Amino acid sequence: MSEQRPDAPGSDRRSRRGHDEPSLEWLEDLKSDADDPELAPVDPAVTEAFEAIVEEGDAAARRSSAANPVVPPAAGAEPGRPPAPEEADELTPTPPPAPGLAPADADAEFVRALAEEGPLPGVVAGDSGEQPAVSGTGPQPAVTSNTGPQPAVSGNTGPQPAVSGNTGPQPAVSGNTGPQPAVSGNTGPQPAVSGNTGPQPAVSGNTGPQPAVSGNTGPQPAVSGNTGPQPAVPGNTGPQPAVPGNTGPQPAVPGNTGPQPAVSGNTGPQPAVPGNTGPQPAVPSNTGPQPAVSGDTGPQPAVGGTGPQPAVAGTGERPVAEPVTDTVETARRTPDRPQPFAELGMKDDEYRRVRDILGRRPTSAELAIYSVMWSEHCSYKSSKVHLRQFGEKAPQSDALLVGMGENAGVVDIGQGWAVTFKVESHNHPSYVEPYQGAATGVGGIVRDIMSMGARPIAVMDSLRFGPADAPDTQRVLPGVVAGVGGYGNSLGLPNIGGETVFDACYAQNPLVNALCVGVMKHGDIKRAAAPGPGNKVILFGAGTGPDGIGGASVLASATFDDESHAKRPSVQVGDPFMEKILIECCLEVFAEDLVVGIQDLGAAGVSCATTELAAAGTGGMHVDLDAVPLRDATLLPEEILMSESQERMMAVVEPAKVERFLEICARWEIPATVIGEVTDTGRLVMTWRGETIVDIPPGTAADEGPVYERPIAPPADLGSLQSNTPGQLTRPSNGDELRRTVLWLAGSPNLASKTWVTSQYDRYVLGNTVQAMPENAGVVRIDPDSGLGIALSLDGNGRYTRLDPYSGAQLALSEAFRNVAATGARPLAVTNCLNFGSPEDPGVMWQFAQATEGLADACRYLGVPVTGGNVSFYNQTGTTPINPTPVIGVLGVHDDVRRRVNMSFTSDGATLALLGETREEFGGSEWAHVVYRHLGGLPPKVDLAAELALASVLVAASREGLLTAAHDLSDGGLSQALVESCLRGGLGASITLPGDAFVTLFSESVARAVVAIRPGGEARVAALCEQAGVPVTQLGVIGGDELRVTGRVGEAEAQELFAIPLSELRESHERTLPSYAG
Amino acid sequence: MDAARVGVITFPGSLDDRDAARAVRLAGAEPVALWHADDDLKDVDAVVLPGGFSYGDYLRAGAIARFAPLMGALVDAAHGGLPVLGICNGFQVLCESHLLPGALLPNAGLHFVCRDQRLRIDDADTAWTRDYSTGQEIVVPIKNRDGRYVADPRTLAELEGEGRVVARYLDLNPNGSLNDIAGVRNEAGNVVGLMPHPEHAVESLTGPSTDGLGFFTSIVKRLVEA
Repeated sequence: MSEQRPDAPGSDRRSRRGHDEPSLEWLEDLKSDADDPELAPVDPAVTEAFEAIVEEGDAAARRSSAANPVVPPAAGAEPGRPPAPEEADELTPTPPPAPGLAPADADAEFVRALAEEGPLPGVVAGDSGEQPAVSGTGPQPAVTSNTGPQPAVSGNTGPQPAVSGNTGPQPAVSGNTGPQPAVSGNTGPQPAVSGNTGPQPAVSGNTGPQPAVSGNTGPQPAVSGNTGPQPAVPGNTGPQPAVPGNTGPQPAVPGNTGPQPAVSGNTGPQPAVPGNTGPQPAVPSNTGPQPAVSGDTGPQPAVGGTGPQPAVAGTGERPVAEPVTDTVETARRTPDRPQPFAELGMKDDEYRRVRDILGRRPTSAELAIYSVMWSEHCSYKSSKVHLRQFGEKAPQSDALLVGMGENAGVVDIGQGWAVTFKVESHNHPSYVEPYQGAATGVGGIVRDIMSMGARPIAVMDSLRFGPADAPDTQRVLPGVVAGVGGYGNSLGLPNIGGETVFDACYAQNPLVNALCVGVMKHGDIKRAAAPGPGNKVILFGAGTGPDGIGGASVLASATFDDESHAKRPSVQVGDPFMEKILIECCLEVFAEDLVVGIQDLGAAGVSCATTELAAAGTGGMHVDLDAVPLRDATLLPEEILMSESQERMMAVVEPAKVERFLEICARWEIPATVIGEVTDTGRLVMTWRGETIVDIPPGTAADEGPVYERPIAPPADLGSLQSNTPGQLTRPSNGDELRRTVLWLAGSPNLASKTWVTSQYDRYVLGNTVQAMPENAGVVRIDPDSGLGIALSLDGNGRYTRLDPYSGAQLALSEAFRNVAATGARPLAVTNCLNFGSPEDPGVMWQFAQATEGLADACRYLGVPVTGGNVSFYNQTGTTPINPTPVIGVLGVHDDVRRRVNMSFTSDGATLALLGETREEFGGSEWAHVVYRHLGGLPPKVDLAAELALASVLVAASREGLLTAAHDLSDGGLSQALVESCLRGGLGASITLPGDAFVTLFSESVARAVVAIRPGGEARVAALCEQAGVPVTQLGVIGGDELRVTGRVGEAEAQELFAIPLSELRESHERTLPSYAG
Repeated sequence: MDAARVGVITFPGSLDDRDAARAVRLAGAEPVALWHADDDLKDVDAVVLPGGFSYGDYLRAGAIARFAPLMGALVDAAHGGLPVLGICNGFQVLCESHLLPGALLPNAGLHFVCRDQRLRIDDADTAWTRDYSTGQEIVVPIKNRDGRYVADPRTLAELEGEGRVVARYLDLNPNGSLNDIAGVRNEAGNVVGLMPHPEHAVESLTGPSTDGLGFFTSIVKRLVEA
């Protein structure tokens, strides 16, 4: 609804105010008000300014209901009412219509999609009299321009109907899940909205009484620009409604939990807000009587309006009577008190072990620490025995400066520069709350990189969703993409590549894997350790709030079931602006060498940071939990320890440098607090309100968690899966069928253009991006003088890994390795994110053991060490696990990025050659998947020697400047590589296929690339290939505006098989994602 | 004479400040870092407000940044003729500061949009565009969330009538801006706001072109001649 917000287009009145504005004073006033117990009124000039804005807002609201609005209403809303003539004359401009997706088109699109949806209730429009009841699943009908009572909408899932331009009573909307209806431009009583989950309806521009909204969970409705009494909003959980710019009595909002409503710029009596918990409403710049706010807990409201001031009778900053703190002393006295270890995810024997370690029962705070630190997510207890191979089998490499075990590994790239990179999952949170889940996934991995002392320089994302046409994908995909983009773009980190894959196995378990890469000079590497007794422990960044409590042990480790929505509040909320200034602040602190140890706060928050820092340092630490700055003063010590509030870091600083450290934080306006100091006691001790509540040996929580050797057994269906080969699938038998297959694959969701995704990411910021998606790999310049740079690729293939996990992991590594080499970079190091089902399922554990073994073996063969990574278990729906999906990142080095090769066919007349050998390999292929939904047989045969040979040719050819383009062959085979390179460069090609046309076009054999050779370089390329033992086949030439293919089908003579104009290819390739994602 | 000194303001949340400084350097001038919380323009000859998200842009893009202490000095200096270029978020700040007319709203598609955008320079007579010719077509990246330029009809008519539209989108209007407007100037021509990012089209290695360099060479030449 934001575009309906008045955003004053420079009216005279506003322009006149320009010069005598009170500058920053109003901000200062608001800030001081928050602390002022007497709540002094603000500067009258401020009130005047806001009144003017409210007036402009009213005018804008009237404009938006007129015939030709400056600001078109949101998609789904029709300009329902005729314009009031006097308003139209005075205020209605007649600009040219905005191009792009006009609201009317959006409606048409929605209606068309509905019409194709099958057995859904039809569109309900233009009827009078009573409307039908609407129940079912999938998108609900649009209900527009009716008169009379509107339909009841109950018991549905999926997006709810848009309800606009109606008169008469509005629909009752109850018991639904999924996004609720947009309700705009109606007259008459508004809908009752009760008992729903998911985001509540946006309700704007209506007249008449507003909706009663009760008993819901999830974010509450935004209610703006309405007249008439405002909604009553009792008994809800989740954030309360924003209510700006309304007239008439304001909403009563009693008995809610979660943050209370922001209520600004309104006229009329203000809301009564009694009996709530959570932060109280901000109520600035209103006129009329102010709200009564009584009996509340949590921070009290900031109130900056005029008119009678509010009665504020609650408690808040002063804590109410609390439960008795469970101290170490209490724990000694009451050894038999029952403790909820099972609810915190701990097994009986794990709990017994804690008691053995401590020689007593743990306090509740200690139990919180052990439960999160020993969770699968933090302790890697099921995967550890398998991950050891990455170290044991690591190839000899001089490049590794810091190995696995730190926040991220560090690699020497020469010239004094070091690079750190890592990929991490945020899968489960992204299903529950796609935007915030994905956004905080990016935020977390970026802080990991900062913790190594590096400046983050780029991000990548590997995303997997259910089928592109599934309704839930249309909820999750746009949210995840907007979240990755919203966070990364605001941080100023270019997104240089990744994957977007669709498969039914990810339908209720999307994979969101984010990678970050950072650079530093060798001497600047930082460690997560707290050495030196007497050194101070400083917590800096955002305040600690109730978000994500228990996320580490509960959310990240539980399989989704029917109660998943109840977990919504466990997902953290990100603030990229805070993270951006935190990055700049950290870099200044690093530059002045002010820290001896640093750790980011991610999963398990303060628990994890303090135990890990202490365990890796001198061994002891004293922490005063009362000193932790809180966003919610009612948090208990256990909650402070488990909170996963974002954008926080912990540093260990020598006493003499504390003052300078705090100065730099103040310059960036980042809160920083000394919360403890390093000791030599070997104990982590925490106090709360003067009493000791934690006293443990930190290593027992951080490093000595349980280790499980889980049972393994191949999945029962593996044999039948592998014997169901693609050999019996009917193949295209003539030129026309081949032509249609090329187009079909080019437009299939996994192979189609991902511009819809990547155009939402900033790839330019920082000014060093040499290549970004859809190129083979992202390429970033590190040193502008020498041209030193890096290439990064992130690849995975769940279908291959399902058919053969050992090979599948090696194929993912091979593809990333090949992609990096195709740009001309020398592959150097590996990171991984291992996404699997439940480790308690022997079949899954077998897949995991096979995949890790395959990856470790291949890394040793290829000479690229694993520097770090992440394991994500419990990716399954009910008892059905996802296809095992190891996502592998390979980092390569360019000694001079100006020598890089891209994939575009831009050199007219250049010779095209195919490097590598093509075999008949269709198990797990895109062709079998797209055309037959077939998954069976064995994946392409791994050939690591051939990968090394191919890479050596590609790197040497790029160094010698012999290539004008190179594209690796992987999903979709040669066909897809030609399509992408032709479209990227805008030139066609004439190709003569060696061997059987179908096999050559669509097989996914490994260790292959198509290259365009700079004229005159043909002999030298052939010599390089011969030297390395890489088969080379001339394919044809670049040129023209179509892809023209000659070859033979079966035993027939070679002949021209087909030609496809680039315009037709482009249409096929580019329209797919927008048609699903909108 | 010494190299011209071009200030680049860093607000909390500025993202393209280093890129703007790089462009200034490539154009032959000396970039001077300016800090939002100071009130000193350090005697610079011109100022660039870079892209990004100043102060998180929580209220409205640029709405908080206009109250930064440095902006008071900048507004006075701009009225006195100091050349000022606002790019993306900088353009939003200049509109919020009333140095330029109009406002920038969320993109018509409601998505962040990053693409290589063809533009036409419609006014090559400003402090920042003298190295282009009127009607010249260039390609520079656009990347923003709130890039839809709007103004009331009278202001729009004034801008068009006085030839104050500096650049327009060609081929495709990426955000729904009125009259395809990508950039405008003030009456005197010393203050220019531009939604696309010329500082990201200054090197062939990292940009879609080097077409953006003209904005920075224009100001350097003008300062050298002055």
